[in-house]
Amino acid sequence: MNSIGTRKYLPQELWLAAILAGWIECGFFALLITAGTNRGNVHAVEAPAPSETPIAVKPVLDDVPLLKLGGKKMRPKLPELWRKNPPIQRFEAASAPSPMAPKTPDAIPSSPLLHKDAGPPPPPDAAVAKQVDQVLLDAGPPPKETQQAQGEGVADGVKEGTETDPLKGRAIGQYKQLLIAWFNAKWHPPDLPCDVMKSLTVAGIPTWGPDRTVTGITPARMSGNPTFDERAKSTWSSIVGQQIPPPPPLYPDITPNQIGAIIFTSASVCK
Amino acid sequence: MQVKHRYFSLTSSLAAIAFAAVAKAQAPAAPVPDEHLLGDLVISGTQVEHVTKLAILKSFSPDYEDVVIRSVVRHDLELSGMFDVIPDGKAPPGNYEFDDPVDLPAWQKLGAEVIVKVAARKTQGNRVEIFSLAYFMDVGKTPVYERRIVVAADDVRPTGHRVTDALLAAITGRPGSFASHFCLSTPWGRGRRVLTMDADGAGLTPVSSPEDTSIAPFWGPKQTLYFTQSVRFSPFHLMQLAGKQIERVNVPYTTSIYAASFSVDGQKLAVAVAEDGRSSIYVGNADGTAFNKVSTSEIATSPVFSPSGKLAWIAGGAQQGSQRVYVDGKPVSPNGFTAASPTFCDTELGVRLVYAVAVGGGRMDLVMSDEHGRDMARLTQGPGSNLAPACSPDGRLLAFFSTRKSGPGLYLLNLKRFTSVRVTPQVGESLNWARLADSSVMQALEVRPKSKAAPSPPAPPAPVPPNPASVPPKP
Repeated sequence: MNSIGTRKYLPQELWLAAILAGWIECGFFALLITAGTNRGNVHAVEAPAPSETPIAVKPVLDDVPLLKLGGKKMRPKLPELWRKNPPIQRFEAASAPSPMAPKTPDAIPSSPLLHKDAGPPPPPDAAVAKQVDQVLLDAGPPPKETQQAQGEGVADGVKEGTETDPLKGRAIGQYKQLLIAWFNAKWHPPDLPCDVMKSLTVAGIPTWGPDRTVTGITPARMSGNPTFDERAKSTWSSIVGQQIPPPPPLYPDITPNQIGAIIFTSASVCK
Repeated sequence: MQVKHRYFSLTSSLAAIAFAAVAKAQAPAAPVPDEHLLGDLVISGTQVEHVTKLAILKSFSPDYEDVVIRSVVRHDLELSGMFDVIPDGKAPPGNYEFDDPVDLPAWQKLGAEVIVKVAARKTQGNRVEIFSLAYFMDVGKTPVYERRIVVAADDVRPTGHRVTDALLAAITGRPGSFASHFCLSTPWGRGRRVLTMDADGAGLTPVSSPEDTSIAPFWGPKQTLYFTQSVRFSPFHLMQLAGKQIERVNVPYTTSIYAASFSVDGQKLAVAVAEDGRSSIYVGNADGTAFNKVSTSEIATSPVFSPSGKLAWIAGGAQQGSQRVYVDGKPVSPNGFTAASPTFCDTELGVRLVYAVAVGGGRMDLVMSDEHGRDMARLTQGPGSNLAPACSPDGRLLAFFSTRKSGPGLYLLNLKRFTSVRVTPQVGESLNWARLADSSVMQALEVRPKSKAAPSPPAPPAPVPPNPASVPPKP
């Protein structure tokens, strides 16, 4: 019992065990090497990409109705009554002499001087005439009326004038005012300082459709101020597609093609 | 022979070309439109309103005809709302008889831009000579408009309206429409009655019987008056006033017809017909044939045609919600507002749609938009109800009934300056406005542009003697 329990391995047994263990290791190593080369090896193959096949898409409306935007009950409101702007009162530029002005050439005003005072009103018992025609003795006889032009026209016309019909001339003037008012309602100058804005001007040449529709506005001159120019361009684009008012019925030959340029300024806003 | 023939044809071709060239050179040149007639438009962003200052010469004549013609013209020009009419009290002293000249410098000192003189005097028999004259002070001492006509004494008043229309044409290039008349329906006893009235509120005349219920009157082709009428609770039938007789119009419906309207050219007729507790709009020929249903809503009424041929009506029901204005089947009035009484105005800015909307408290106000419902603007606001709009034939004025506290009645609103003036205290429920029938007087007074001037003078006016009134006064 003791001899078996206390037996020691012989060197030959140890060598045999080591050789067998080496063989086994080598065998496994050989198996590992040969496993990747034979048919039993499993290779990773990429799945084929689905091919693109066009199909007709038919939209089908959802049976579920769209939800209505809800909330607190709001009372609809009409726009406020349009009220016209008060007319702008204009005064003629004139300068009055001032004792405070320096006595230098630069202080001389460029605008015309005011007329002298008309004087005190006539006394109540004075005879007031509608018109006093005084013939100045030293002025000689009044010049004879001479004919300045011949042919159609009016006596108070100018040589450069083109319109011989005073009624049509007035109708053209009123139609032009109507067009200016129509464009004015669409032009809102940007909020810029007046000293900057008063010198800004933008001009465009409009093109017209057969039914007086604005088909386009070609820029002819820009101001150079990006804000002002951008506002003018956006106004032009909003005008395109709109129909301008018709001419007076008695003069249908007045057409939009007779409009030159549309000049957008803001000088009067600053005034 | 062949050479000779070729030579002949070559010669004739050259001759033809030469002849054509000469003819072209000698032909009168076609008028070339002035490309810069309107010039450049300077847009400053500020609206400046200029109201023309107009003077109407006063008259010292005691003749009834002269008083009528002058007061009619002056009243019409004031009602138009287009002018700052100089009061008679500011007129310069002078002579204002039929043949007296116009003192232009004196009126110019008052700031008058346009000076108008109208006068009338009796001639032989029961005839009246009417004289009208207009000056533009920026043109000079030559009158821009001058007519002298002779009319029957009974026609002085309508001729006054025609003179105003011609003067408006001369001053603005757009003829006026005071030679026109209203038709209206108003509560009368237990029923409703149709009446007619001149454009200035004069001549209120009942048409239908007070025993019947007559509603929705309108003017049709040839200035014929149409309305719908119920006699002793019978269904409403479409009726017309033929001469002095009221006749039933032949339409293929036995149920009630609530309203109807003719297209501007008089070719189409639209009717609102009751059917199965609902009402629908049918459109057919003016002779009462070929009707087709155009509305789909539960309730559809108040059809009216636009000058451009569109058809508007009021439609409502369970699906549509509140009653809205529909133009060619599309709603154009705001949702949530009960709309009524649509009408179209051919204004100087283009065709506009005007209708009444309920604003609460049993009141209605008038709004205006384009034919598609865009650019909506409110025309009335304040105490009282404003309803039943009707546009003047020239598109300048809008007539409507108002119950405002300052004075209920029929008001005229200028669609350019938005000023309103009361014409008459008469109120009603529906209103329509149309021109009087054309007449030879109208042709005699007509303003003809120089390019279209007729070569021969119109028929009825008397020969025009030299007019001393058009001669400027001697200094």
